[in-house]
Amino acid sequence: MRCALALASVATLCAPPLGAQTRWDVSFGAIGGREIVRSRTRSDTTERLSGLVFTGEAVVTRGRVVGRLRYGQGRVTADTGTGIMPRDLVEGEALVGYKARPWLTLWFGPHARTYRTALGDQRWLFWSGRVSARGGLFPGRLESFGELWQGFSGSVSRPAAAVAGRGVEAGLELRLAPRPLWGRLAYRIEQGRVGGGRRETVEAITLTVGYVLLR
Amino acid sequence: MKRTVALLAAVSLAALAGPRGADAQAAADVLAQGVRAYQDLEFDGAAGLLRRSLAFQGTEALAPAAAARALIYLSATELFRNHRDSATAVARRLVLLDPRFRPDQLVFPPQVVALYEGVRRATPAVTARAPADTSIRPGADAYAVRLYASAFHEISASLGTEAGRVVRALYAGPIGDGDSLDLTWNGLDSAGARVPEGRYAVTVTSLDRQRRVVRILRLPLEVAEPSVDTLPHPAPPAASLLRPERQPFGPAVRALAPGALAGVAIVLLPKVVASGEDASGARLLVGGTVTIAGIAAFLSRHPGRPIPGNVAHNTILRDAWRREVEDVARRNAQRVREVRIAIRAGTPMLITPEAP
Repeated sequence: MRCALALASVATLCAPPLGAQTRWDVSFGAIGGREIVRSRTRSDTTERLSGLVFTGEAVVTRGRVVGRLRYGQGRVTADTGTGIMPRDLVEGEALVGYKARPWLTLWFGPHARTYRTALGDQRWLFWSGRVSARGGLFPGRLESFGELWQGFSGSVSRPAAAVAGRGVEAGLELRLAPRPLWGRLAYRIEQGRVGGGRRETVEAITLTVGYVLLR
Repeated sequence: MKRTVALLAAVSLAALAGPRGADAQAAADVLAQGVRAYQDLEFDGAAGLLRRSLAFQGTEALAPAAAARALIYLSATELFRNHRDSATAVARRLVLLDPRFRPDQLVFPPQVVALYEGVRRATPAVTARAPADTSIRPGADAYAVRLYASAFHEISASLGTEAGRVVRALYAGPIGDGDSLDLTWNGLDSAGARVPEGRYAVTVTSLDRQRRVVRILRLPLEVAEPSVDTLPHPAPPAASLLRPERQPFGPAVRALAPGALAGVAIVLLPKVVASGEDASGARLLVGGTVTIAGIAAFLSRHPGRPIPGNVAHNTILRDAWRREVEDVARRNAQRVREVRIAIRAGTPMLITPEAP
């Protein structure tokens, strides 16, 4: 999983710029969030786990082309019932995007999530297309944004199966210009579905503190 | 007797031999013959000749002064023929023809003068003299019509349209015996406005002591006004020069929309994306925050609030435009004031209403 994410990230960073603009924009962010994971099995039992996940983010922009990397780790524990094993969680994404409009970006790329338990690892992998839009509330200071994604293909291991998935993320982004700091409050929900009624829903509320390295 | 027959024969011959359509000289000749007959005390012949001289019409007719002379001689002739009623009627005709006429006391005996004066005093009438063709500046100049009265009496004078609508009252009051009275009209109606082009008439009504209408003098007037070149009014300030006077709603709505849309999406989309799951209340916290931020952004634009700087800017532009409009209006009014109207007077016409 880590190798796949790393390869995707490298591929994204190496993608040639489509626009004539040569300026690089680079920013980093540290994301802390609480995630709620609901796993529904074929036997119609639901496990609900929650916990903190910490994620790092890098966004690189050159002209109209954007690359975004996220990598996070955390641990979720059972909220209900007993005998549910806690899970270590590793998730990441490597997306390449195209800014069709200053407020509209189209994305494509893989994102994956791996649960590590005493019984072994379970990995969910999606290749998705995304649309994100943003609008200024206080231009240059505060923006709202929304991102909707749909998985084109996906897979899950243990037991191996093909999956479908989709999700949405929306929230507020604050820029503390002229300082190179920014912050983000976001809500995210996504769901992966396997045949037979098995599905995995992840919901998160996140807070991000970021730093603009180049502009 | 022989002489009378010769005179009548001469008159008859003159009547028969006189070419039809002869000019006024013929009437004057007949008048001269009538006067000579009067002076020769041939009153019957004189009456015939004088009446013949007055019977000429059109271009052959006697001039007004000659007609007045014929009438006074005819009145005297009828008086000496002991036709007093006829003499009185002729004298009244003379008064109406020329209220200013006075018989020469060196020519006519006292009884003729007395008869005429009696008739004149009993026949209130006026005549008018006005410039035949003139022009005035309405409101600045005056058009004068001079009235002459046969005797002291009350009159009322007004200017009216052809249809009889009174445009302006000119005078109401007495006019003296043998006096003249000037009626003046400044070219404006009773409201102080310029009268439009058209046909008008000065009407002078003579009243008797019982204030009954005994005569009406009507003097036609034709008023013509040349067209005036006026300046066009300046166009109001172009919209592109004016600044918005109130904070527009557009930017405020554009600031509200992203917040509201994101807030609604956060609340509603989990149902679409993760069907079958009950999303946690955490989304309401984020969605509410985004929505409140959008509302704050909307309010921060102060939509609809006046912008004093822009209001002052627009006021300066509009005031400058109003001053230009007032200046043009003033200059146009000045041009209109300076335009003269042409007034052409017709022939006065005296109307005597029938007695009830």
